[in-house]
Amino acid sequence: MISSYGKKEDFPIFKKKVNGKSIVYLDSTATTQKPKQVLDAIVNYYEGANANVHRSVYKLADEATEMYENSRTNVGRFIGADSNEIVFTRNTTESLNLLSFTIGESLKRGDRILITSMEHHSNILPWMRLEERGIKLDYAGLDGEGHLDIEDMKSKLKKDTKIVSVTHQSNVLGTINPIQEIGKLAKDNGSTFIIDAAQSVPHMPFRVREEYDFVAFSGHKMLGPMGIGVLYGKYHLLEEMPPFNRGGEMIKEVDFHRAVFEDPPIKFEAGTPNVEGAVGLSAAIDYLKKIGMEDVRRHEKYLTSMTLKNLDGMKNVTYYGPRDVEERGGVIAFNVRDASNLKKNLENKNVKVDRVYHSHDIATFLDDRNVYVRSGYHCAEPLMRTLNLSGTARASFYVYNGDDDVKAFISSLSEI
Amino acid sequence: MYNDEVMDRYQNPVKNGKMENFDVKTDGASTTCGDKIILYIKTDGKKIEDMKWQGEGCILSIVSTDLFCENAIGKEIKDLKEQDDLAFVESFPVKISPGRINCVMLPLRTFRRGTKEK
Repeated sequence: MISSYGKKEDFPIFKKKVNGKSIVYLDSTATTQKPKQVLDAIVNYYEGANANVHRSVYKLADEATEMYENSRTNVGRFIGADSNEIVFTRNTTESLNLLSFTIGESLKRGDRILITSMEHHSNILPWMRLEERGIKLDYAGLDGEGHLDIEDMKSKLKKDTKIVSVTHQSNVLGTINPIQEIGKLAKDNGSTFIIDAAQSVPHMPFRVREEYDFVAFSGHKMLGPMGIGVLYGKYHLLEEMPPFNRGGEMIKEVDFHRAVFEDPPIKFEAGTPNVEGAVGLSAAIDYLKKIGMEDVRRHEKYLTSMTLKNLDGMKNVTYYGPRDVEERGGVIAFNVRDASNLKKNLENKNVKVDRVYHSHDIATFLDDRNVYVRSGYHCAEPLMRTLNLSGTARASFYVYNGDDDVKAFISSLSEI
Repeated sequence: MYNDEVMDRYQNPVKNGKMENFDVKTDGASTTCGDKIILYIKTDGKKIEDMKWQGEGCILSIVSTDLFCENAIGKEIKDLKEQDDLAFVESFPVKISPGRINCVMLPLRTFRRGTKEK
């Protein structure tokens, strides 16, 4: 284990037994488990400071507002941004929709948006909706190993490309994209550059840079609670944008037919915000900082490399994405061929040899052994079409996983 | 992966294949997992004379579809359509977890859609 932090003991869910045995949780790409420190922070907030924020003048409300705003500052510091550049949302999906309904609305017929073939649906559908207005959506392709094809990206970067929105790390292939390089290309082209960082901010050191206009990520994928997400935006860009939702909190002044909106980030936080979520996310960041993000990344590389080495030795298993752990995160999509058919084929010539088990069957098989992996399309159907796959199983790691989990996974998989 | 009955039928389905002289052809898909089946139904208008399927899917959806086609022969369309979902899932040879109910339900849902007018 990486340090005294990140130990399973900190995560109450790992006390849970299913059929008398511990669980092996390998689905942190979908959501992460929560340490006691995060759960305590949420309880402490409700027990000691709960009131609506940014409204009332009494002491408890001040305390709640302070906790909420301190959380924002903590999130900002974590990625090297100012606190007024941090907008709290529900999740990455909402952060990207916020951009679609604000800067996306300012695009005109003939303008283009460039994304990649490895995007999660949350970085496709908010842009696809603009196609109805004559805006073109382009996809940069991949090479055979699942790296982004930079030359293809360059060729699709046109003078009308107003937005470039790219995932930092694929939630299926694990591919880590060269976002500094892509950011530079986007900036040289005068395009707005957006990063879907849902799978990178939780797993590696991340600092915002001059090329990055917007960065979206989710709290629940980094030990925080569900329902809290972040949109980082350069302050002057947030200032120029219209609001997303409208209502309470986000206004300075309201007349019968006219309103003056608050300054960013509050302009984008209509209604009572998710204060417990912000407080929980801040506690999650404190927890991750104690480990150190370099060590989080190092630990995941270690587990990934150990797993891939084992999978290389299993003839009926195919995994996807870059072979080099330096180029990928701790997420491994894989499929398993039906080896029993090999035998059957010898007995009965008309049975297809290369039948691949459906990923749901693999996940159910592993579930029977308390090993929890994801299966299906992973919210990345265009990627599955690109790879010509009808889904994959997927194992993914985080700070609380150790050698024991890799061993349990490999030994269960070898029983198929 | 599952029990022998399920695996044998998966590897050697009995009603898999195209039917030429069908009366109803209907397709169904489980979009969240890529399962896709086509049902070919031969009927006198009331009873099922024969049913076959083509398609791709997980073990549970394939086995459920093959069993459904075989068990339907001689039964009335109305009875097949109106059977209880829970009882249908429980009649499957292995216990189904909630996350996999859609896999087993695929043939019944497809059949209902294809025979709506019948």
